[in-house]
Amino acid sequence: MKKILIVDDEEVIRMLYSEELEDEGYNVITTGTGHGLVELVERERPHLVILDIKMAEHDGLDLLQEIRKQFYNIPVILCSAYSSFKGDLKSVAADYYVVKSADLSDLKQKIKMALEGHIPFQSTQE
Amino acid sequence: MYIEEENPSDVRTADLIVGIPSYNEAELISFPTQIASEGLIKYFGDKNSVIINCDNNSPDGTREAFMNTSTEVPKIYLSTPRGVKGKGNNFKNLFQKSCDLGAEAIIVLDADLKSATPRWIKNLGQPLFEGFGFVAPLYVRHKFDGTITNNIAYPITRSIYGRRVRQPIGGDFGFCGKLAEIYLRQENWTPAVAQFGIDIWMTTMAMCHDIPICQSFMGRPKIHKPKDPGESLGPMFLQVVGTIFDMMTKEVRFWKDVRWSKPTAIFGFGLGEIEMPPPVDVKVERLYDKFQAGFAKHDDLWKGILSTNVYKKVSEVRTLGFADFEFPGNLWADILVDFAVAYKKGAYDKERIMECLIPLYYGRTGSFVIELEPMTIQQAEEVIEDQCIVFERSKPGLLTKWFDTK
Repeated sequence: MKKILIVDDEEVIRMLYSEELEDEGYNVITTGTGHGLVELVERERPHLVILDIKMAEHDGLDLLQEIRKQFYNIPVILCSAYSSFKGDLKSVAADYYVVKSADLSDLKQKIKMALEGHIPFQSTQE
Repeated sequence: MYIEEENPSDVRTADLIVGIPSYNEAELISFPTQIASEGLIKYFGDKNSVIINCDNNSPDGTREAFMNTSTEVPKIYLSTPRGVKGKGNNFKNLFQKSCDLGAEAIIVLDADLKSATPRWIKNLGQPLFEGFGFVAPLYVRHKFDGTITNNIAYPITRSIYGRRVRQPIGGDFGFCGKLAEIYLRQENWTPAVAQFGIDIWMTTMAMCHDIPICQSFMGRPKIHKPKDPGESLGPMFLQVVGTIFDMMTKEVRFWKDVRWSKPTAIFGFGLGEIEMPPPVDVKVERLYDKFQAGFAKHDDLWKGILSTNVYKKVSEVRTLGFADFEFPGNLWADILVDFAVAYKKGAYDKERIMECLIPLYYGRTGSFVIELEPMTIQQAEEVIEDQCIVFERSKPGLLTKWFDTK
Protein backbone atom coordinates (compact mmCIF):
# COMPACT_ATOMS: atom_id res chain seq x y z
CA MET A 1 0.00 0.00 0.00
CA LYS A 2 1.43 3.40 -0.98
CA LYS A 3 2.04 5.77 1.91
CA ILE A 4 1.17 9.46 1.47
CA LEU A 5 2.24 12.23 3.85
CA ILE A 6 0.00 15.31 3.97
CA VAL A 7 1.57 18.52 5.30
CA ASP A 8 -1.08 21.19 5.89
CA ASP A 9 -1.79 23.50 8.80
CA GLU A 10 -5.57 23.33 8.30
CA GLU A 11 -7.06 20.42 10.19
CA VAL A 12 -10.18 20.34 7.99
CA ILE A 13 -8.04 19.87 4.90
CA ARG A 14 -6.00 17.11 6.53
CA MET A 15 -9.18 15.29 7.54
CA LEU A 16 -10.84 15.68 4.14
CA TYR A 17 -7.78 14.58 2.21
CA SER A 18 -7.11 11.66 4.56
CA GLU A 19 -10.64 10.35 4.23
CA GLU A 20 -10.74 10.68 0.45
CA LEU A 21 -7.29 9.23 -0.15
CA GLU A 22 -7.79 6.34 2.27
CA ASP A 23 -10.93 5.50 0.29
CA GLU A 24 -8.66 5.33 -2.76
CA GLY A 25 -6.55 2.70 -0.99
CA TYR A 26 -3.65 4.84 0.21
CA ASN A 27 -2.11 4.72 3.66
CA VAL A 28 -2.25 8.37 4.80
CA ILE A 29 -0.26 10.08 7.53
CA THR A 30 -0.53 13.79 8.30
CA THR A 31 1.24 16.63 10.03
CA GLY A 32 0.04 20.16 10.70
CA THR A 33 3.48 21.73 10.83
CA GLY A 34 6.72 21.94 8.93
CA HIS A 35 8.72 21.55 12.17
CA GLY A 36 10.80 18.41 11.92
CA LEU A 37 9.44 17.61 8.48
CA VAL A 38 12.70 16.24 7.10
CA GLU A 39 13.04 13.96 10.12
CA LEU A 40 9.44 12.82 9.68
CA VAL A 41 10.09 11.98 6.02
CA GLU A 42 13.27 10.16 7.03
CA ARG A 43 11.39 8.13 9.62
CA GLU A 44 8.21 7.38 7.68
CA ARG A 45 9.65 7.16 4.14
CA PRO A 46 6.38 8.08 2.40
CA HIS A 47 5.98 7.27 -1.28
CA LEU A 48 4.63 10.78 -1.87
CA VAL A 49 4.27 14.11 -0.03
CA ILE A 50 1.38 16.55 -0.43
CA LEU A 51 2.65 19.93 0.72
CA ASP A 52 0.70 23.10 1.46
CA ILE A 53 2.52 26.34 0.59
CA LYS A 54 1.10 29.09 2.75
CA MET A 55 1.18 27.79 6.29
CA ALA A 56 1.11 29.88 9.46
CA GLU A 57 4.68 29.12 10.51
CA HIS A 58 6.29 27.80 7.37
CA ASP A 59 6.68 28.49 3.69
CA GLY A 60 5.97 25.29 1.78
CA LEU A 61 8.35 26.29 -1.02
CA ASP A 62 11.23 26.46 1.48
CA LEU A 63 10.18 23.11 2.93
CA LEU A 64 10.19 21.70 -0.60
CA GLN A 65 13.83 22.69 -0.97
CA GLU A 66 14.64 21.05 2.36
CA ILE A 67 12.98 17.81 1.26
CA ARG A 68 14.69 17.93 -2.14
CA LYS A 69 18.12 18.29 -0.58
CA GLN A 70 17.83 14.86 1.03
CA PHE A 71 15.11 12.93 -0.76
CA TYR A 72 15.34 13.77 -4.41
CA ASN A 73 13.23 10.93 -5.70
CA ILE A 74 10.21 11.28 -3.40
CA PRO A 75 7.41 12.85 -5.45
CA VAL A 76 6.10 16.08 -3.95
CA ILE A 77 2.80 17.69 -4.94
CA LEU A 78 2.35 21.31 -3.96
CA CYS A 79 -1.26 21.88 -2.97
CA SER A 80 -2.27 25.47 -2.36
CA ALA A 81 -5.38 27.60 -2.23
CA TYR A 82 -3.46 30.08 -4.37
CA SER A 83 -2.41 29.61 -7.98
CA SER A 84 -0.03 32.57 -7.84
CA PHE A 85 2.84 30.53 -6.40
CA LYS A 86 3.04 28.66 -9.70
CA GLY A 87 4.92 31.71 -10.90
CA ASP A 88 7.59 31.23 -8.24
CA LEU A 89 10.51 29.43 -9.85
CA LYS A 90 11.02 27.46 -6.63
CA SER A 91 7.85 25.52 -7.41
CA VAL A 92 9.65 23.96 -10.41
CA ALA A 93 11.21 21.50 -7.97
CA ALA A 94 7.80 19.93 -7.26
CA ASP A 95 6.39 17.10 -9.32
CA TYR A 96 3.01 18.80 -9.65
CA TYR A 97 1.13 21.84 -8.44
CA VAL A 98 -2.56 21.54 -7.59
CA VAL A 99 -4.92 24.34 -6.60
CA LYS A 100 -7.07 23.29 -3.64
CA SER A 101 -10.65 22.48 -4.46
CA ALA A 102 -13.57 20.59 -2.90
CA ASP A 103 -13.33 18.33 -5.93
CA LEU A 104 -10.21 16.23 -5.41
CA SER A 105 -10.19 14.64 -8.85
CA ASP A 106 -7.25 16.74 -10.10
CA LEU A 107 -5.24 15.95 -6.96
CA LYS A 108 -6.04 12.23 -7.22
CA GLN A 109 -5.01 12.21 -10.86
CA LYS A 110 -1.72 13.95 -10.11
CA ILE A 111 -1.03 11.52 -7.25
CA LYS A 112 -1.52 8.64 -9.67
CA MET A 113 0.77 10.23 -12.25
CA ALA A 114 3.46 11.00 -9.67
CA LEU A 115 3.40 7.46 -8.28
CA GLU A 116 3.41 5.87 -11.73
CA GLY A 117 6.23 8.08 -12.98
CA HIS A 118 9.20 6.02 -14.11
CA ILE A 119 12.51 6.80 -15.76
CA PRO A 120 14.90 3.91 -16.48
CA PHE A 121 18.39 4.15 -14.97
CA GLN A 122 17.56 7.39 -13.16
CA SER A 123 20.73 8.54 -11.50
CA THR A 124 20.90 8.03 -7.77
CA GLN A 125 22.80 11.27 -7.38
CA GLU A 126 19.71 13.37 -8.00
CA MET B 1 38.82 18.88 -36.43
CA TYR B 2 40.11 22.29 -35.41
CA ILE B 3 42.56 23.53 -37.93
CA GLU B 4 43.42 27.00 -36.72
CA GLU B 5 44.46 27.66 -33.16
CA GLU B 6 45.75 30.78 -31.47
CA ASN B 7 46.97 30.08 -27.96
CA PRO B 8 49.17 33.01 -26.96
CA SER B 9 49.43 31.95 -23.31
CA ASP B 10 50.43 28.42 -24.34
CA VAL B 11 47.68 26.88 -22.19
CA ARG B 12 48.23 23.11 -21.97
CA THR B 13 45.98 22.07 -19.12
CA ALA B 14 42.77 23.47 -17.63
CA ASP B 15 40.35 22.51 -14.87
CA LEU B 16 37.57 24.71 -16.11
CA ILE B 17 36.76 26.03 -19.57
CA VAL B 18 34.27 28.63 -20.75
CA GLY B 19 33.52 27.99 -24.42
CA ILE B 20 31.92 30.58 -26.68
CA PRO B 21 30.81 29.21 -30.06
CA SER B 22 30.40 31.84 -32.75
CA TYR B 23 29.92 32.78 -36.36
CA ASN B 24 30.05 36.44 -37.29
CA GLU B 25 29.66 37.77 -33.76
CA ALA B 26 32.38 40.45 -33.83
CA GLU B 27 29.96 43.04 -32.55
CA LEU B 28 28.79 41.10 -29.49
CA ILE B 29 31.43 38.55 -28.47
CA SER B 30 33.44 40.87 -26.21
CA PHE B 31 30.65 41.06 -23.66
CA PRO B 32 30.28 37.31 -22.86
CA THR B 33 34.09 37.04 -22.98
CA GLN B 34 34.49 39.72 -20.29
CA ILE B 35 31.71 38.22 -18.20
CA ALA B 36 33.34 34.79 -18.44
CA SER B 37 36.66 36.19 -17.22
CA GLU B 38 35.06 38.08 -14.33
CA GLY B 39 33.02 35.04 -13.28
CA LEU B 40 35.99 32.69 -13.44
CA ILE B 41 38.18 35.03 -11.36
CA LYS B 42 35.46 35.81 -8.83
CA TYR B 43 34.03 32.32 -8.27
CA PHE B 44 36.69 29.90 -9.45
CA GLY B 45 39.90 31.72 -8.58
CA ASP B 46 41.44 28.47 -7.35
CA LYS B 47 40.87 26.71 -10.66
CA ASN B 48 43.09 26.69 -13.70
CA SER B 49 40.75 28.27 -16.27
CA VAL B 50 40.70 29.26 -19.91
CA ILE B 51 38.20 30.91 -22.26
CA ILE B 52 37.89 29.34 -25.71
CA ASN B 53 36.22 30.90 -28.72
CA CYS B 54 35.15 28.15 -31.12
CA ASP B 55 34.56 29.89 -34.42
CA ASN B 56 33.94 29.16 -38.09
CA ASN B 57 36.57 31.48 -39.52
CA SER B 58 34.11 34.35 -39.29
CA PRO B 59 34.88 36.96 -41.94
CA ASP B 60 33.56 39.83 -39.79
CA GLY B 61 36.53 39.94 -37.38
CA THR B 62 35.11 37.79 -34.57
CA ARG B 63 38.58 36.36 -33.93
CA GLU B 64 40.14 39.81 -33.45
CA ALA B 65 37.23 41.02 -31.32
CA PHE B 66 37.63 38.00 -29.05
CA MET B 67 41.41 38.00 -28.81
CA ASN B 68 41.55 41.79 -28.27
CA THR B 69 39.08 41.66 -25.37
CA SER B 70 41.02 42.39 -22.22
CA THR B 71 40.69 39.51 -19.73
CA GLU B 72 42.57 38.21 -16.71
CA VAL B 73 41.90 34.63 -17.79
CA PRO B 74 43.93 33.29 -20.75
CA LYS B 75 42.17 32.80 -24.07
CA ILE B 76 42.36 30.34 -26.94
CA TYR B 77 40.89 30.86 -30.39
CA LEU B 78 39.91 27.77 -32.39
CA SER B 79 38.40 27.57 -35.82
CA THR B 80 37.01 24.93 -38.11
CA PRO B 81 38.72 24.60 -41.48
CA ARG B 82 37.88 27.31 -43.97
CA GLY B 83 34.43 26.73 -45.43
CA VAL B 84 33.27 24.45 -42.60
CA LYS B 85 30.47 26.12 -40.66
CA GLY B 86 28.02 25.02 -38.01
CA LYS B 87 27.52 25.44 -34.28
CA GLY B 88 27.86 21.68 -33.78
CA ASN B 89 31.22 21.67 -35.52
CA ASN B 90 32.34 24.39 -33.12
CA PHE B 91 31.23 22.23 -30.21
CA LYS B 92 33.11 19.26 -31.60
CA ASN B 93 36.25 21.37 -31.48
CA LEU B 94 35.40 22.39 -27.94
CA PHE B 95 34.90 18.76 -26.87
CA GLN B 96 38.22 17.78 -28.43
CA LYS B 97 40.07 20.68 -26.81
CA SER B 98 38.42 19.98 -23.44
CA CYS B 99 39.69 16.41 -23.58
CA ASP B 100 43.16 17.55 -24.70
CA LEU B 101 43.36 20.01 -21.78
CA GLY B 102 41.96 17.47 -19.30
CA ALA B 103 39.14 19.78 -18.20
CA GLU B 104 36.86 18.74 -15.35
CA ALA B 105 34.12 21.16 -16.24
CA ILE B 106 33.04 23.13 -19.30
CA ILE B 107 30.63 26.05 -19.42
CA VAL B 108 29.21 27.36 -22.69
CA LEU B 109 27.82 30.83 -23.31
CA ASP B 110 26.15 32.02 -26.50
CA ALA B 111 28.21 34.66 -28.29
CA ASP B 112 25.19 36.95 -28.80
CA LEU B 113 24.28 36.94 -25.12
CA LYS B 114 23.65 40.42 -23.76
CA SER B 115 22.39 39.69 -20.24
CA ALA B 116 24.88 37.27 -18.68
CA THR B 117 26.44 38.15 -15.34
CA PRO B 118 29.48 36.66 -13.57
CA ARG B 119 26.94 34.80 -11.45
CA TRP B 120 25.95 32.79 -14.53
CA ILE B 121 29.45 31.35 -14.59
CA LYS B 122 29.12 30.32 -10.96
CA ASN B 123 25.67 28.81 -11.39
CA LEU B 124 26.51 26.89 -14.55
CA GLY B 125 29.88 25.75 -13.18
CA GLN B 126 29.50 25.01 -9.48
CA PRO B 127 27.06 22.08 -9.84
CA LEU B 128 29.69 20.37 -12.02
CA PHE B 129 32.03 20.27 -9.01
CA GLU B 130 29.19 18.96 -6.79
CA GLY B 131 28.31 15.74 -8.58
CA PHE B 132 26.22 16.94 -11.49
CA GLY B 133 27.29 16.20 -15.05
CA PHE B 134 25.03 18.47 -17.06
CA VAL B 135 23.64 21.87 -16.11
CA ALA B 136 20.85 23.53 -18.07
CA PRO B 137 19.92 27.17 -17.53
CA LEU B 138 16.69 28.24 -15.91
CA TYR B 139 15.85 31.77 -16.83
CA VAL B 140 12.80 33.83 -17.59
CA ARG B 141 12.30 34.41 -21.29
CA HIS B 142 9.68 36.51 -22.97
CA LYS B 143 6.58 34.42 -23.65
CA PHE B 144 7.11 34.82 -27.42
CA ASP B 145 10.85 34.16 -27.34
CA GLY B 146 11.90 30.54 -27.88
CA THR B 147 8.85 29.26 -29.72
CA ILE B 148 10.67 26.11 -30.87
CA THR B 149 11.57 25.48 -27.23
CA ASN B 150 8.05 26.08 -25.96
CA ASN B 151 6.12 24.21 -28.63
CA ILE B 152 8.50 21.41 -29.55
CA ALA B 153 11.80 20.93 -27.74
CA TYR B 154 10.58 21.22 -24.14
CA PRO B 155 7.29 19.29 -24.41
CA ILE B 156 8.82 16.52 -26.53
CA THR B 157 11.96 15.96 -24.44
CA ARG B 158 9.87 16.07 -21.29
CA SER B 159 7.25 13.60 -22.51
CA ILE B 160 9.66 11.27 -24.32
CA TYR B 161 12.59 11.11 -21.89
CA GLY B 162 10.69 11.98 -18.70
CA ARG B 163 13.07 14.77 -17.65
CA ARG B 164 11.85 18.32 -17.15
CA VAL B 165 14.55 20.54 -18.58
CA ARG B 166 12.82 23.81 -19.35
CA GLN B 167 15.52 25.11 -21.69
CA PRO B 168 16.83 22.07 -23.56
CA ILE B 169 18.16 24.27 -26.36
CA GLY B 170 18.98 27.27 -24.22
CA GLY B 171 22.46 27.65 -25.68
CA ASP B 172 24.06 28.25 -22.29
CA PHE B 173 25.07 25.01 -20.57
CA GLY B 174 27.53 23.38 -18.26
CA PHE B 175 28.84 19.84 -18.66
CA CYS B 176 31.55 17.71 -17.10
CA GLY B 177 34.72 16.50 -18.79
CA LYS B 178 33.43 12.92 -18.77
CA LEU B 179 30.40 14.00 -20.78
CA ALA B 180 32.64 15.84 -23.24
CA GLU B 181 34.40 12.50 -23.84
CA ILE B 182 31.04 10.77 -24.33
CA TYR B 183 29.98 13.44 -26.83
CA LEU B 184 33.23 13.12 -28.72
CA ARG B 185 32.97 9.32 -28.92
CA GLN B 186 29.54 9.36 -30.55
CA GLU B 187 29.33 8.27 -34.14
CA ASN B 188 25.87 9.71 -34.82
CA TRP B 189 27.09 13.16 -35.82
CA THR B 190 24.50 13.92 -38.48
CA PRO B 191 24.74 17.08 -40.60
CA ALA B 192 21.96 18.54 -38.39
CA VAL B 193 23.94 17.87 -35.19
CA ALA B 194 26.91 19.61 -36.76
CA GLN B 195 24.70 22.69 -37.07
CA PHE B 196 21.90 23.91 -34.75
CA GLY B 197 20.86 20.38 -33.76
CA ILE B 198 23.79 20.29 -31.33
CA ASP B 199 21.98 21.79 -28.30
CA ILE B 200 19.11 19.31 -28.25
CA TRP B 201 21.53 16.48 -29.07
CA MET B 202 23.68 17.34 -26.04
CA THR B 203 20.70 17.57 -23.71
CA THR B 204 19.19 14.34 -24.97
CA MET B 205 22.50 12.49 -24.77
CA ALA B 206 22.88 13.60 -21.14
CA MET B 207 19.36 12.32 -20.39
CA CYS B 208 19.95 8.95 -22.02
CA HIS B 209 23.41 8.34 -20.54
CA ASP B 210 22.29 8.54 -16.93
CA ILE B 211 24.19 11.77 -16.40
CA PRO B 212 23.06 13.64 -13.24
CA ILE B 213 21.26 16.70 -14.56
CA CYS B 214 20.30 19.93 -12.84
CA GLN B 215 18.77 23.21 -13.83
CA SER B 216 20.37 26.34 -12.52
CA PHE B 217 18.75 29.71 -11.92
CA MET B 218 20.48 32.45 -13.84
CA GLY B 219 18.66 35.28 -12.07
CA ARG B 220 18.47 37.47 -15.16
CA PRO B 221 16.42 36.79 -18.29
CA LYS B 222 18.14 35.62 -21.44
CA ILE B 223 18.54 38.65 -23.64
CA HIS B 224 20.05 37.97 -27.03
CA LYS B 225 19.22 38.61 -30.66
CA PRO B 226 15.56 37.52 -30.64
CA LYS B 227 14.02 36.22 -33.83
CA ASP B 228 10.49 36.57 -35.14
CA PRO B 229 9.48 32.92 -35.72
CA GLY B 230 7.65 33.86 -38.93
CA GLU B 231 10.66 35.62 -40.36
CA SER B 232 13.76 33.65 -39.53
CA LEU B 233 12.96 30.03 -38.82
CA GLY B 234 14.47 28.13 -41.72
CA PRO B 235 17.37 25.76 -41.18
CA MET B 236 17.34 25.98 -37.40
CA PHE B 237 13.87 24.43 -37.24
CA LEU B 238 14.83 21.61 -39.59
CA GLN B 239 18.04 20.88 -37.70
CA VAL B 240 16.53 20.96 -34.21
CA VAL B 241 13.39 18.97 -35.00
CA GLY B 242 15.26 16.58 -37.29
CA THR B 243 17.69 15.87 -34.45
CA ILE B 244 14.82 15.31 -32.02
CA PHE B 245 13.29 12.74 -34.38
CA ASP B 246 16.68 11.10 -35.07
CA MET B 247 17.35 10.79 -31.34
CA MET B 248 13.91 9.28 -30.75
CA THR B 249 14.81 6.52 -33.20
CA LYS B 250 18.24 5.97 -31.70
CA GLU B 251 17.21 6.03 -28.04
CA VAL B 252 13.91 4.15 -28.20
CA ARG B 253 15.15 1.43 -25.85
CA PHE B 254 15.49 4.09 -23.16
CA TRP B 255 12.34 6.11 -23.68
CA LYS B 256 9.82 3.36 -24.39
CA ASP B 257 9.73 2.55 -20.66
CA VAL B 258 9.51 6.16 -19.45
CA ARG B 259 6.19 7.03 -17.83
CA TRP B 260 5.19 10.61 -17.07
CA SER B 261 7.96 13.04 -16.14
CA LYS B 262 10.02 14.00 -13.12
CA PRO B 263 11.30 17.38 -11.98
CA THR B 264 15.01 18.01 -12.27
CA ALA B 265 17.30 19.09 -9.44
CA ILE B 266 17.48 22.87 -9.04
CA PHE B 267 20.57 24.91 -8.20
CA GLY B 268 20.91 28.57 -7.29
CA PHE B 269 17.88 29.66 -5.33
CA GLY B 270 17.84 32.96 -3.56
CA LEU B 271 18.78 35.30 -6.37
CA GLY B 272 16.20 37.82 -5.31
CA GLU B 273 13.77 39.64 -7.59
CA ILE B 274 13.42 38.13 -11.03
CA GLU B 275 13.99 40.65 -13.80
CA MET B 276 11.51 40.62 -16.68
CA PRO B 277 12.77 40.16 -20.26
CA PRO B 278 12.21 42.73 -23.03
CA PRO B 279 9.25 42.25 -25.38
CA VAL B 280 9.50 40.22 -28.57
CA ASP B 281 7.52 41.32 -31.60
CA VAL B 282 5.73 38.54 -33.50
CA LYS B 283 3.67 39.17 -36.65
CA VAL B 284 0.78 36.76 -36.11
CA GLU B 285 -0.97 37.47 -39.42
CA ARG B 286 2.12 36.29 -41.24
CA LEU B 287 2.13 33.03 -39.29
CA TYR B 288 -1.54 32.52 -40.09
CA ASP B 289 -0.97 33.21 -43.80
CA LYS B 290 1.98 30.80 -43.92
CA PHE B 291 -0.13 28.10 -42.27
CA GLN B 292 -2.90 28.58 -44.83
CA ALA B 293 -0.39 28.60 -47.69
CA GLY B 294 0.84 25.19 -46.52
CA PHE B 295 -2.31 23.51 -47.81
CA ALA B 296 -1.54 24.43 -51.39
CA LYS B 297 1.98 23.08 -51.17
CA HIS B 298 1.80 20.12 -48.78
CA ASP B 299 -1.77 18.87 -48.65
CA ASP B 300 -1.01 15.53 -50.33
CA LEU B 301 1.89 14.78 -48.02
CA TRP B 302 -0.11 15.81 -44.96
CA LYS B 303 -2.81 13.33 -46.00
CA GLY B 304 -0.16 10.63 -46.18
CA ILE B 305 1.62 11.43 -42.92
CA LEU B 306 -1.27 12.36 -40.64
CA SER B 307 -3.81 9.90 -39.26
CA THR B 308 -7.24 10.31 -40.80
CA ASN B 309 -8.76 11.95 -37.72
CA VAL B 310 -5.78 14.27 -37.25
CA TYR B 311 -5.87 15.37 -40.90
CA LYS B 312 -9.60 16.01 -40.51
CA LYS B 313 -8.98 18.26 -37.50
CA VAL B 314 -6.26 20.17 -39.34
CA SER B 315 -8.71 20.72 -42.20
CA GLU B 316 -11.22 22.07 -39.69
CA VAL B 317 -8.65 24.52 -38.33
CA ARG B 318 -8.06 25.68 -41.91
CA THR B 319 -11.66 26.90 -42.12
CA LEU B 320 -11.19 29.29 -39.18
CA GLY B 321 -10.70 32.92 -40.09
CA PHE B 322 -7.91 34.97 -38.56
CA ALA B 323 -10.28 36.64 -36.09
CA ASP B 324 -11.21 33.35 -34.42
CA PHE B 325 -8.15 31.31 -35.28
CA GLU B 326 -7.22 28.54 -32.88
CA PHE B 327 -4.86 25.61 -33.32
CA PRO B 328 -5.37 23.42 -30.23
CA GLY B 329 -2.42 22.07 -28.23
CA ASN B 330 -3.74 18.48 -28.29
CA LEU B 331 -3.95 18.60 -32.09
CA TRP B 332 -0.35 19.82 -32.19
CA ALA B 333 0.74 16.91 -29.97
CA ASP B 334 -1.08 14.44 -32.27
CA ILE B 335 0.58 16.00 -35.32
CA LEU B 336 4.05 15.64 -33.83
CA VAL B 337 3.33 12.00 -32.96
CA ASP B 338 2.34 11.29 -36.58
CA PHE B 339 5.36 13.15 -37.96
CA ALA B 340 7.79 11.41 -35.60
CA VAL B 341 6.37 8.02 -36.65
CA ALA B 342 6.50 8.91 -40.37
CA TYR B 343 10.09 10.10 -39.95
CA LYS B 344 11.07 6.87 -38.20
CA LYS B 345 9.32 4.62 -40.73
CA GLY B 346 10.95 6.42 -43.63
CA ALA B 347 7.92 6.19 -45.90
CA TYR B 348 8.79 9.63 -47.27
CA ASP B 349 11.95 11.60 -47.79
CA LYS B 350 13.01 12.97 -44.39
CA GLU B 351 13.69 16.46 -45.65
CA ARG B 352 10.24 16.64 -47.24
CA ILE B 353 8.66 15.46 -43.99
CA MET B 354 10.44 18.18 -42.05
CA GLU B 355 9.66 20.89 -44.58
CA CYS B 356 5.96 20.10 -44.60
CA LEU B 357 5.85 20.28 -40.80
CA ILE B 358 6.86 23.95 -40.91
CA PRO B 359 3.47 25.44 -41.97
CA LEU B 360 1.74 23.42 -39.25
CA TYR B 361 4.27 24.76 -36.75
CA TYR B 362 3.45 28.27 -37.97
CA GLY B 363 -0.24 27.56 -37.37
CA ARG B 364 0.36 26.32 -33.84
CA THR B 365 2.76 29.17 -33.06
CA GLY B 366 0.28 31.77 -34.35
CA SER B 367 -2.47 30.32 -32.19
CA PHE B 368 -0.08 30.14 -29.22
CA VAL B 369 0.81 33.82 -29.59
CA ILE B 370 -2.87 34.82 -29.83
CA GLU B 371 -3.72 32.77 -26.73
CA LEU B 372 -0.81 34.15 -24.71
CA GLU B 373 -1.15 37.76 -25.80
CA PRO B 374 -3.20 38.93 -22.77
CA MET B 375 -1.27 36.79 -20.30
CA THR B 376 1.57 37.49 -17.95
CA ILE B 377 4.76 35.46 -18.35
CA GLN B 378 3.68 33.33 -15.36
CA GLN B 379 0.28 32.61 -16.89
CA ALA B 380 1.99 31.75 -20.16
CA GLU B 381 4.19 29.26 -18.28
CA GLU B 382 1.04 27.57 -16.99
CA VAL B 383 -0.23 27.17 -20.55
CA ILE B 384 3.10 25.62 -21.54
CA GLU B 385 2.99 23.27 -18.54
CA ASP B 386 -0.56 22.22 -19.46
CA GLN B 387 0.59 21.57 -23.01
CA CYS B 388 3.35 19.33 -21.64
CA ILE B 389 0.76 17.24 -19.79
CA VAL B 390 -1.14 16.90 -23.08
CA PHE B 391 2.08 15.63 -24.71
CA GLU B 392 2.69 13.20 -21.85
CA ARG B 393 -0.83 11.87 -22.23
CA SER B 394 -0.23 11.29 -25.94
CA LYS B 395 2.71 8.95 -25.17
CA PRO B 396 0.75 5.64 -25.15
CA GLY B 397 -0.63 6.57 -28.59
CA LEU B 398 2.89 7.31 -29.79
CA LEU B 399 4.14 3.93 -28.54
CA THR B 400 1.31 2.09 -30.30
CA LYS B 401 2.03 3.85 -33.60
CA TRP B 402 5.80 3.63 -33.20
CA PHE B 403 5.79 -0.17 -32.86
CA ASP B 404 2.99 -0.74 -35.36
CA THR B 405 4.69 -2.54 -38.21
CA LYS B 406 1.96 -1.78 -40.75
